[in-house]
Amino acid sequence: MKLNLSSKTILIIEDYSVMRKSMKDMLYTLGAQYLFEAENGHAAIAAMKKQKFDFILCDYNLGEGKNGQQVLEEARHKKLIAYSAVFIIVSAHQSAIDVLCTIENKPDEYLAKPFNAQQLSRRLEKSYSRKQQFSIIEKEIDKENYARAIFLCDEALSKSNQATHSNLLKLRAELAINTGDYDKATSIYQQVLDRRELAWARLGMGIIAFFKNDLEQAITLFNGLIEQNPLFMEAYDWLAKSYQALEKITDAEATLNRAVEISPHSFFRQKKLASIADITGNIDVAEQAYKAVTDLGKYSIHKSPSDYSGLAKVFSRKKDNQQALKTLDSMKQHFLNNQEADLRAATIEAEVYQNMGDKKLAKQAFDKIHSLNRELKNRAPNDLKLDIAKALYLNDDSESADQIIADLIQNNIDDNAFIDDIRRMQTAIGQDNYSEVLIQQTKQKLIAINNQGVALYQQGQLKEAFAVFEIAIEKMPSNKTILLNMAKITVHDLKASGITQENLLLAHRYINRAKQAGVPSDKLGNLQLEFENLTNTPPPLV
Amino acid sequence: MTSSDNNSVNFPAILASSVHDIKNSLATVRELIMQIAAKQQSSKSPDFMQLEFETNRMNNSLIQLLELYKIDSDKFNLDIDEYSACEILQEVKAQQIPLLQLNKISLTIDCDDELFCFCDYNHICNALGSILNNAQRYTHTKVQLSAYKEQAYSVFCMEDDGTGYPEHLLAINTTDTLSINTISGSTGLGLHFVATIAALHATKETKGFIKIDNESSLGGARFRLFLP
Repeated sequence: MKLNLSSKTILIIEDYSVMRKSMKDMLYTLGAQYLFEAENGHAAIAAMKKQKFDFILCDYNLGEGKNGQQVLEEARHKKLIAYSAVFIIVSAHQSAIDVLCTIENKPDEYLAKPFNAQQLSRRLEKSYSRKQQFSIIEKEIDKENYARAIFLCDEALSKSNQATHSNLLKLRAELAINTGDYDKATSIYQQVLDRRELAWARLGMGIIAFFKNDLEQAITLFNGLIEQNPLFMEAYDWLAKSYQALEKITDAEATLNRAVEISPHSFFRQKKLASIADITGNIDVAEQAYKAVTDLGKYSIHKSPSDYSGLAKVFSRKKDNQQALKTLDSMKQHFLNNQEADLRAATIEAEVYQNMGDKKLAKQAFDKIHSLNRELKNRAPNDLKLDIAKALYLNDDSESADQIIADLIQNNIDDNAFIDDIRRMQTAIGQDNYSEVLIQQTKQKLIAINNQGVALYQQGQLKEAFAVFEIAIEKMPSNKTILLNMAKITVHDLKASGITQENLLLAHRYINRAKQAGVPSDKLGNLQLEFENLTNTPPPLV
Repeated sequence: MTSSDNNSVNFPAILASSVHDIKNSLATVRELIMQIAAKQQSSKSPDFMQLEFETNRMNNSLIQLLELYKIDSDKFNLDIDEYSACEILQEVKAQQIPLLQLNKISLTIDCDDELFCFCDYNHICNALGSILNNAQRYTHTKVQLSAYKEQAYSVFCMEDDGTGYPEHLLAINTTDTLSINTISGSTGLGLHFVATIAALHATKETKGFIKIDNESSLGGARFRLFLP
């Protein structure tokens, strides 16, 4: 298929005018007529907001401001790129692994400079035709219509030639993992590995082992991969995740430390390392990682006040009060009129001023926590609520603090990592008895409710089972175990009593609530799949 | 990872970062030359052709130096997947086509559409591109690129109608990357680079290698890359 560029809109993002002109000249030679230019990330985002492009050619290095990867991240996040559009990152580095450090937001194509018009033309043509085939599937995945995506993927596989076969298999296996169909995923990866040891297929095997909770096996696989492919960053991320799941937290830290040494530019990896170093108490690693996070976040769509408060907390722990306050100042500058940022600042200021023995300012900060907390109500993220509780304890307001801790435990009882965060905070201020008793009580209660509900469910008493969970969920509105069970019951009810408008909406609502509460897709995916297959129409909008 | 004492300078690292800078500058120089040539409508003049050819060679050498540095300091791994052999040869041709046209060298490709091989696409294209770039200096009028299966290997073959490789090159054992080091100049660097990349393409049983001889069907030099 010959690609006709004359009707295509193309955006060139490149800070250097000589190179911009050179690319333009090439594209004109290739028959392009609608060329647009942007000399930095900001202008690029503005251009993409105005119109949708068929091709976006983006240099990685764009001088001061966003880099190419951050432009892609933001454009995808804000949905400024059409599904069928091709986003190409251009850079002087020979291979993509030198530049692209994250698994998130891979471009459709990577092009190494220098290249001539023929090379560009071939690349545009190849990526365009591949994209036409994949975009219909990607669109469904993006909307989480897994059944439809799997159907389209299987259809494409049955008609595919060898050139696209491998990419389709990869996608099909990922879909299988996302919907909890590990047998299917295993058989695809094995089929690939039988022909050749390929890193992506071996990684897939490791991911399956991880989800099947065979963590030792996962760790062996990821370590083997890293030995063979020291630049395979995804393997490091999964290895760290596996270590963390096994509560081998120092191994997780060491793994991520190696990873950021090789590839220091991933915002998320640095942030993960920072949070793990918070747990291990390795203050130097935490400081370095948080600094990297605030630097990398500067122009990123993903930056958040917690990046700065994390760094400020490190300084506070080091008793470097001035640096802590300075960091909070810079947070306020980056997040103007942001209640969350103000509240985070106040909780840390209360601690820092107390460290400094400045009772007046500590009291001011403390009052600010109270008033901001009232305004923000329940919208504060969990880690911030924990900080607030800590500040309240330290200012002898145990009653309010206990209430916050009780709520946090109740709502996050099945999030082991966060429950550990609570324990750590409580131990740090000598209050561990209070939370530990509550944690155990809440666990018992959850188990009791769950057993009761599941027993009723197994006896086919769906309504009764649902009622048990309904009462529980009022007290723990974002409990993942309960929400997942409620979603299961509602989907089962569609089969048992037939589809009505009412139970359809209910099932859809609980699947969504479970998703929002953070039930991972490997647990929820097969339920979504079942739901889709049962209804066989797009879920109604709620 | 290459390390050095705190008080001694890590020379390879300095060299690599300088090479990277030079390569970026060279890219700008090339663009400016092209734009000046276009303005003066003299892009077909022999001087500009020579400039284009030489800067291309410099760029190839710099890329190879950088990649070899990364291999040497464990900052390298291949990204292997399955690719169409024709696609690879077409890409190599596209990479070199402006020069081939300038040098009035005709290039033919002989490859079965159904032939697929496991390799790192970018590195193999670059490696073959640099060999083709070199071949243009020595061939007379033609280069033929072909690919085929031979036992457990996918073979990429490049033949020309020049005077062939000189005796001292033919005497070298090309499956041994160390002995290629004794060849001086860009031919040596090019062969060393391709042989290194080839050897990194390894399976449990075997690994890739290169062979050079003068058995070209066109009467000149023949280069072959064998990948498992």
